Amino acid sequence: MAETKRNWREDVKVFRDRMGGLTEAKKAMAKDQRDTIKAIQAALKAGPRTVPEISAETKIASQKVLWYIMALKRYGKVAEAGQAGEYFRYELKEASS
Amino acid sequence: MAKIKERYDGLVVGGGIAGMQAALDLAGQGYGVLLVEREPSIGGVMVGLNKVFPTLDCSSCICTPRMAETAHHDRITVQAYTEVDEVRREGDGFAVRLIKKPRYVVEEDCIGCSKCELACTMLAPHEFDHGLGARAAIYIPHGNAIPQLPVLDPEYCIFDGTCARACPTDCIDFTQLPEEVNIEVGAVIIATGLKTTPMDAKKEYGGGKYVNVMNPLAMERVQSPNGPYGHVLRPSDGKLAQSVAYVQCAGSRDKSIGVPYCSRVCCMYALKQAIMIKHHRHETDVTIYHMDIRAFGKGYEQFYRRALAEGVKVVKAKVARITEEPNRDLTLRVELIDEGGRVAEKRHDLVVLSQGTIPGWRPDGRALAQVDDDGFFQIRDVVTRPANSSDDGIFVAGVATGPKDIPDSIVEAGAAAMEAAMYLDRTRGRRQALAGAGVEA
Repeated sequence: MAETKRNWREDVKVFRDRMGGLTEAKKAMAKDQRDTIKAIQAALKAGPRTVPEISAETKIASQKVLWYIMALKRYGKVAEAGQAGEYFRYELKEASS
Repeated sequence: MAKIKERYDGLVVGGGIAGMQAALDLAGQGYGVLLVEREPSIGGVMVGLNKVFPTLDCSSCICTPRMAETAHHDRITVQAYTEVDEVRREGDGFAVRLIKKPRYVVEEDCIGCSKCELACTMLAPHEFDHGLGARAAIYIPHGNAIPQLPVLDPEYCIFDGTCARACPTDCIDFTQLPEEVNIEVGAVIIATGLKTTPMDAKKEYGGGKYVNVMNPLAMERVQSPNGPYGHVLRPSDGKLAQSVAYVQCAGSRDKSIGVPYCSRVCCMYALKQAIMIKHHRHETDVTIYHMDIRAFGKGYEQFYRRALAEGVKVVKAKVARITEEPNRDLTLRVELIDEGGRVAEKRHDLVVLSQGTIPGWRPDGRALAQVDDDGFFQIRDVVTRPANSSDDGIFVAGVATGPKDIPDSIVEAGAAAMEAAMYLDRTRGRRQALAGAGVEA
């Protein structure tokens, strides 16, 4: 265990500058990620959906929807909920207390 | 992880199956070994595979115990996320300069709890899943990673300190820089593995352009229970694959892209993956388009027969080009060799290109050993000294010398370790070498 508390608040500023700062492109990427996750979660609030169904509702490309669904599944926020023909359905997982 | 000492009997470059085996076999003879791996975890390509052929054993179930044995061996120091920058001869041994890349995590303090990863709000394509899945900007490479330590990817970091705030041991260190480490070693074993030819090496196949044209190593992850999908889905829309095609020699035996040799493992992994697709879902149609099936190892011909018996279609054909349909299906224009060269169009919803095997690392002057025109390390005498490089004291194992399968890589790693041990005995005497490793003779 570290003996002295790291001053990460100062360190992260130096790190940010060393890495070229928080660029507009990176800000846009972060916003796009937040918006996409929000849109997918909103679609799933109405019930289990397949990737093409989410894509049709959100107007987000199905390839991108799949990638985010798998990310949300990996981090325990989405789960499989049966099959609809050739596609799996996905549903929101209730947050564990 | 143990601190790096200034001196080791042997340096093993590459922490895949060949490198780990070489390190274990050299350490087992009493020598002190430093194993250097450029990725954040040891395990190499094998730990990402689903099954091995021809036994269909779980690949990571074989590989992870070997990883643990390597990492916990008294005479092996594992240094992951570190590159070899220079190998310079000094007498009978070598002076080696390593560059330890920053994880931005204090290794000694981290307890591998993943709280940083779970708190991080940024996602990035996961390298271990060939981009098909996602990971956070700070992440532990995979569930079986050794060491179980996260690495921060500055490219996706938004510098908000979320990870540092979540860390219970205060081990996120944004001040880390690449660190130069200089060591002396008595012998070197190079086991730097493989890469596949670029996806777009053959433009007519649409790799890198059509999302449902896939790399075979990505397909390994797709088939793995701990892979990105958990099922054989196509990446364009998550549809369960109904019809999968394998295009063989899509980057081997092809002078036009500088890979004139056979990659030796593609026929077998294509057969293996085809069988596994059938095991996932028997109704899925799987067709392997090939020039000829090269099933040359022990039990390999029987494995080929098994694939046929399980309903895999094996068609002697040359694929001329692949085009994408509006629904992302793929149409293959093929010349059917067994039908007198008749040209036909075949539609599939997922295509795997059996890409060529190329060297995983090119020394570019950083190591003394010479490479051949194809980029693989030269062997001094292919018949009688298959583990000896062009230079005394430098030995080679696994795919670093040319394409080969896992059993052959392991055999060669043992040979390289034995040659390295004999070299150490010859140059310094066994007693002195053992003293260097901190072991009494």
